Amino acid sequence: MSLDVVLSSIFSVAFIATIIRIATPLLLPALGGLISDLGGVINIALEGQMLIAAFTGVVVSAYLPQWFPGWPVWSYALLSGLAGILAALALSWLIAFFHLELRTDIILTGLAINILAAGVTVFILFVLTGDKGSTSQLASLAIPNLFIPFVNTIPLLGTLLNGANGDGYNLLSYAAILLVPVVSLFLYKTRAGIHLRAAGENGPAAGAAGINTRRTQYLALYLSGILAALGGLYLSMGYLTIFQANMTAGRGFIALAIVNLGNRKPLGVLIAALVFGAATALGAQLGTLDVPPQLIEMIPPTITIVALVIYQARRKAKIAANARRFQVESN
Amino acid sequence: MLAKINWREIIRLVLVVIVALAIGFVITFFTSDEPVKAFWTLLTGPLPQFSLEGGLHITNLNRFGNWIEDSITLVLLGLSVAIVFRAKQFSLGAEGQLLLGALAGGIVALYIPAPPGIHLLLVLLAAAAAGFLWGFIPGLLKAYLNVDEIVSTLMLNVIAAQIYQLALVQWLRDVSSGSVSTPFFPDSATLPLLVPGTRITAGLLLALGAVAAVWWLMNRTPYGYELKVLGSNRRFAEYAGVNTKRVIASSMGISGILAGLAGAHISQGLLKRLTLNLSPGIGFEGIVVALLARNDPIGVLITGLFYGYLRTGGQIMERSTDVTREVVLIIQAVIILLVTAERLFPAFLAWRARRLLEENGEAEA
Repeated sequence: MSLDVVLSSIFSVAFIATIIRIATPLLLPALGGLISDLGGVINIALEGQMLIAAFTGVVVSAYLPQWFPGWPVWSYALLSGLAGILAALALSWLIAFFHLELRTDIILTGLAINILAAGVTVFILFVLTGDKGSTSQLASLAIPNLFIPFVNTIPLLGTLLNGANGDGYNLLSYAAILLVPVVSLFLYKTRAGIHLRAAGENGPAAGAAGINTRRTQYLALYLSGILAALGGLYLSMGYLTIFQANMTAGRGFIALAIVNLGNRKPLGVLIAALVFGAATALGAQLGTLDVPPQLIEMIPPTITIVALVIYQARRKAKIAANARRFQVESN
Repeated sequence: MLAKINWREIIRLVLVVIVALAIGFVITFFTSDEPVKAFWTLLTGPLPQFSLEGGLHITNLNRFGNWIEDSITLVLLGLSVAIVFRAKQFSLGAEGQLLLGALAGGIVALYIPAPPGIHLLLVLLAAAAAGFLWGFIPGLLKAYLNVDEIVSTLMLNVIAAQIYQLALVQWLRDVSSGSVSTPFFPDSATLPLLVPGTRITAGLLLALGAVAAVWWLMNRTPYGYELKVLGSNRRFAEYAGVNTKRVIASSMGISGILAGLAGAHISQGLLKRLTLNLSPGIGFEGIVVALLARNDPIGVLITGLFYGYLRTGGQIMERSTDVTREVVLIIQAVIILLVTAERLFPAFLAWRARRLLEENGEAEA
């Protein structure tokens, strides 16, 4: 394929649609990571929570119609999604219980939860289907796409608003984008959000000011679990309609990096998620040009590290400058 | 040394393991048609079997071999984690260090000719150097710029995985082979076999040597003391004149060396070439080994053997019964949760005391 074909496919509306599809399962858990991070309870288990939600959603949607035939299809998908969220919430509770009640190290606890989720999903998968790889033998449902009528007749707008196939983006993609301002409002404009950030910033001070930090941090972990679950559900009931062992493939860890690259702000998280999504989409496109996709895939993690370095170096310089000024003034 | 053994702690850890295994058994019981056989296989599978029929025979030696092979990797990874944990740092970078260690070792094995003996030494040095580099980078960033080592090591894992794939697919790949892998290494670059009938190689000596070296480093050198002081209280360490930044950066580098050597064990000892799926997610397994060992190098040897035994037992169980080896992951997760829950036992005592008080209160009223 020649360069101009690749370029025209990159600078096309379809490419934007691809980025949105790839960024959705990064943005949702990253928003969850943002909430738990700001609440002072860093959630390493996003990966495991995505995985268990993805798995539970698929399994429930495969069995629900058999158990309760005759209900409308949308109710099966909805209930399956809720089941996935509940499974992730159960893991949130485990993290909260072990960290907040038994004072375990939250990072080790999160890692244990990831291992647990990886083990439990494959274990039950095998018990149910006799297959360790995927749920290909189960007929599972999808969370529907949202199709915007009439715009498909308009060339560019149709692709932009309804995706490359013209059948609309998944509901969860819309949810992901809408949740950016929602999370922002929650964190900065509501009482609970301000308490949450206070508990994360300085727990003892927040406690002294009368905030129930323990309850606040439970809330932070539950919310991050719900958001991670939505990301996982998108993978198994949107992007694909099948569960595969370890299908999250490190997205929960990338989400943690996105939180940092996005400077712990909702809008920053959105942009960082799009950067990661764009790099993956670009890697796939450039593969046709003999540019190894691995090189492109290396870019976002490298940017993340460089951004952290620059941020910390500037912070350090600022502290040093302030200290110098203080010394000069006090002389 | 014997006097320092903390029996209370050991009993607690053994209890944790027993509880975790019991939970594993309960899960197996409810899902398997043959739970007792499955669990028996899990717990005894890796042992070689002796039979006296027609002279002494040892069968299933390969299972015993699998156990030791896996334990070598786990001991090296456990030591790698123990060093950073001792300095109260965190590193999730073993996966990347392991991959790059294997890659560097593989490149030297294939492209740098050297006489036997020296060749292997060069290979191991290359693996150690690559691991060191990949551990030292996040160490430096943490020590001097306070860059969060969890995010940086996770990102370096992603980068390392891409470098490994890129090198393998683009340059090192043996195009005549059906799978994506390099040609087999020359004999001069592989770890020599120790036990015929298994894949137990000189990697075993490497792991034992590493245990001894880390023990010596931790217990007999000023550096080991600095690690310990830093781990118990960073401010105190600074007041005591420890160059904490240097210790943090170097501890993560040394940790990388051990993970890099674990990679060399896999590539030069087990596979004897580089393959695309060199390390199926073994990078985090060092954590449970180090936690159970309380970051003690000799403890790591014991817990590495224990956890390798469990993993191998899990694989044998999966092959011969209807229970998958993922049960071992569940057991591992329970172990980590319970080991870190140091307040679990006191909390239980307090809960019981409260219960007793309440009951007494009711009795009085």
